[in-house]
Amino acid sequence: MTDSLPAPAQTMDAALTAYRGYVAGKLDTLTGQVLTLKASIGNNDLAAARPQWLDAQLTWQEIGAAYGSFGDLGDAINGLPSGLPRGTADPGFTGLHRLEYGLHHGQGPAELAPVAATLYTDIGALRGKLPSLTVAASDLPIRCHEILEDSLRDNLSGNNDQGGGMALALTAADLHGTRVVLALMATLIDGLQPGYTARVSATLDRLDTALAATKANGRWPVWRAVPLSGRQPVTGALGAALEVLAYVPALFSTDD
Amino acid sequence: MTQHTPPPGPDAPGTASDGAEPHAAGSALPRRRSFLIGAGSGAAVTALAATGITAASRPPESTTAAPAPAPAVAFHGANQAGVYRPAAQQRQACFAAFRVLAKDRAELKTLLRTLTAKGATLSTGLRISDPVPAEDLPAVAGGPPPNSGVLGEDVPPDSFTMTVGLAASVFDNPAYGLAAKKPKGLTGMTVFPNDTPDPAWTGGDLLLQLCADSTDMIHYALRDITKATRGVLALQWRINGFHSAPRPSGSPRNLFGYKDGIVNLAQDDQLVWIGKDSGQPAWAVGGTFIVVRLIRMLVEFWDRVGLGEQDGMIGRHRATGAPLGGTTETDVPDYAHDPDGQTIPLDAHIRLANPRTKATDASRLLRRGYNYDLGVDLNGNLQAGLIFASYQRNIQDQFEATQLRLVNEPMTDYIEPFGGGYFIGLPGVADKHGFLGEGLFT
Ligand code: HEM
Repeated sequence: MTDSLPAPAQTMDAALTAYRGYVAGKLDTLTGQVLTLKASIGNNDLAAARPQWLDAQLTWQEIGAAYGSFGDLGDAINGLPSGLPRGTADPGFTGLHRLEYGLHHGQGPAELAPVAATLYTDIGALRGKLPSLTVAASDLPIRCHEILEDSLRDNLSGNNDQGGGMALALTAADLHGTRVVLALMATLIDGLQPGYTARVSATLDRLDTALAATKANGRWPVWRAVPLSGRQPVTGALGAALEVLAYVPALFSTDD
Repeated sequence: MTQHTPPPGPDAPGTASDGAEPHAAGSALPRRRSFLIGAGSGAAVTALAATGITAASRPPESTTAAPAPAPAVAFHGANQAGVYRPAAQQRQACFAAFRVLAKDRAELKTLLRTLTAKGATLSTGLRISDPVPAEDLPAVAGGPPPNSGVLGEDVPPDSFTMTVGLAASVFDNPAYGLAAKKPKGLTGMTVFPNDTPDPAWTGGDLLLQLCADSTDMIHYALRDITKATRGVLALQWRINGFHSAPRPSGSPRNLFGYKDGIVNLAQDDQLVWIGKDSGQPAWAVGGTFIVVRLIRMLVEFWDRVGLGEQDGMIGRHRATGAPLGGTTETDVPDYAHDPDGQTIPLDAHIRLANPRTKATDASRLLRRGYNYDLGVDLNGNLQAGLIFASYQRNIQDQFEATQLRLVNEPMTDYIEPFGGGYFIGLPGVADKHGFLGEGLFT
C-alpha cells in the first residue's frame, strides 16, 4: 500500500495503458496473497488467515475496481451477499468477502477451502483476460471520483463489512487507488483546469491524516468502535474530497 | 474552487461521441455521463475543454406565472434573524448541530464567512439567471449542477432565516485561540433532575437554526449549506419541527393540544439581546444565548388523562387557551389574588414557569419552539414532542432559573428531555461587508 505513485501520462491512451499495467501488477500481487491465504485455510490456521484476508482485500481495493468494472468476474471476486436469496449462505456468495464472513463467523476449512480455491481460479481468469479487456476512455476520470464514493457508500456505511470491521483499512486502500489514477491523469487534468490536481491532492492529504489519526498502536480499529469524534474528521475529509473529485469527470465531459 | 471557473470553450467540438466505448463484457457501464473521446483517440486529448460555465447556456427565463413570492426576511441587522425577525414565527424549522472541523482560526473564519454568504443568499432568494454565488463550486458543463433543484430552478425567499450559534466547545478548542472571547455563562447543557440525555441528540460545536414557511425550503437550505461547508462542518444531530396554524384562532397549539406561545417577551423588555452593560465580551453585544431542548412528549399517556387534570397541569383551559378562571387566551393570570392556587394550581406549568413576581420577572425568556414528529419508538408509541428553543441574555438567570422552578412539576411525568444544547447566538451582521462572528477575530 505504500508503493510509489506512477508518473503522469501525456495522453489518455498512455494513461489507460499505464493503468492496465498497474492493475496487472496488483493482480499478480493478489494471486500470491490468495495462494498464501488458501494455504492457511487449508492448514486450519485461521489466526494467520484473518490478516492474510485483509492483505488480499486491500490489494483488491487498491485496484480501484469501482462500480463493477470487472463484470461477473469482479462480482465473483468481491461480491456481497445482498440480493442473493439465501444471503450469506447462498452459494452465489463467493470471493474475498465470503472468506471474510467465514473467518469471522467460526467457519473452518470445510466451508472455506473450496471458496479460497475458486477465488484463486477467478483471479487467475481475470489476470488472463486483462489484456483483452477494453477500458473506456471515460473510465479513468470517473474512477478518480467514484472509487471514494464507494468508500463512503460501501465501506464506511458498513454495507460490505462481513465481520472484519476493516472499513478504515479499506478506505485507506481506496484512497491509494484514487491517488494512483489521479497521478496518471495529472497532466491531462491540469491541462483542462490548471492546478486542479493540486487542489484535489490537498483534500486527499487531509483524508490521509484523518484516517491515520484513527489508528491505535499502528493498527486499524474497527470502524464502528471509533468514537464519533474520531469518525467525524474521516467522513468530513472524505466528503470534502468527494466534492472536488466530482468535477474531474466533468472536465472530460461533453454533457451540459 | 471559489472564483475558479473553467476556461470557457466552444460547445462540444465535432469529435464528441455518444458515449463510452465498449466495456468489459458483462460489466456495468459507467452511467450518466457522455464523454468527448474514446479509447484510442489520445491525440484528441489536447482538444478537451470544459465547455463553459453553465450560466452561459441557461435557458431563457420561463414566462409562466410563478406563485406569488413569499416575503424575504432581512438577513442584515444589529441582531440575527430567526429570533424576533420575522415577527410571526415561520411554519417550518430545522435545528441542526455540527461538529466544527476547521483546523485553525483561519479556517473557522472562512467557515463563518461562508455561512454568512449562504444565509444572505438564501434569505434573499436566488434566480437561476443569477451568477453562481462565490461560496459555491462553480457550475462546470457536464458536472454536478450548483444546486440540488429541490425548489426548481429559482430559490424563493420563503421567509427563510438562518440563525447561527456556537457552543462552549468552540471557545475551549485551543486551535481557535478564542478562550478570552468566551461568553460568561456559556457552559455545556446542564443535566436537570428529570433529564435523560441521549448522546445521539446532544453536543455539537455549532447550531444552525433554519426557519422558513415550507419544508422543501428547509431541506434545500440545509443541503445547500452542508454542501458548501463539507469537510469543515460535520452534521451531528438534527431535528425538523413545525409550527401549526392557529386552531381556530390565536396562538397555535402544541402536541398536548394546548395553545402555546401566548405569553412571550417583547423586545422592549430587554431580556433577550446581550447589551453593552452585560459584562459579556464586546464582540457578543447584539447576540443572545440560545437554549435548545429536545423534549419528548408522551402523547398517548397524555391522551389518557382527564381534561381537568390536563388543564391543571398547564394552568390554562385547553379549548380557549385562557388561564384557568379566565375566558380568553390574552387574559392575564392574577396569582396575587389566588395565593393558595384555588384557581390556578401553585404547581401549574405556567405558574411555576412565570410566577409573575418582581423577583422572578428578570428570569423571563423568549420562547420560539417547534413541534416535532419523528416516527415510532421501541414499543410502537409516537415519537413526538417539542423542540424547545429559548433566547435570553443570560442562561443561568433566565433559562436555568425557570427550568429549576419546573423541576418535578406535574407535567414532568408526560415529558422526557433527551437532547439539545447551549449556544451563543452570534450578533447580527450589519451589512454585506461583515460576517457572522466577525468580532471574534478582532
Ligand atoms: C414539552 C414541554 C413543554 C410543554 C408541553 C409546555 C407547554 C406550555 C404551555 C401550554 C404554555 C402556556 C401557553 C403560553 O403561555 O405560551 C407554556 C408556557 C410557558 N412555558 Fe412551557 N412547555 C414546555 C416546556 C417548557 C420549558 C422547558 C420551559 C422553560 C424552562 C417552559 C417555559 C414556559 C414559560 C416561561 C411559559 C410562559 C408562562 C407565562 O409567562 O405565563 N416551558 N408552556
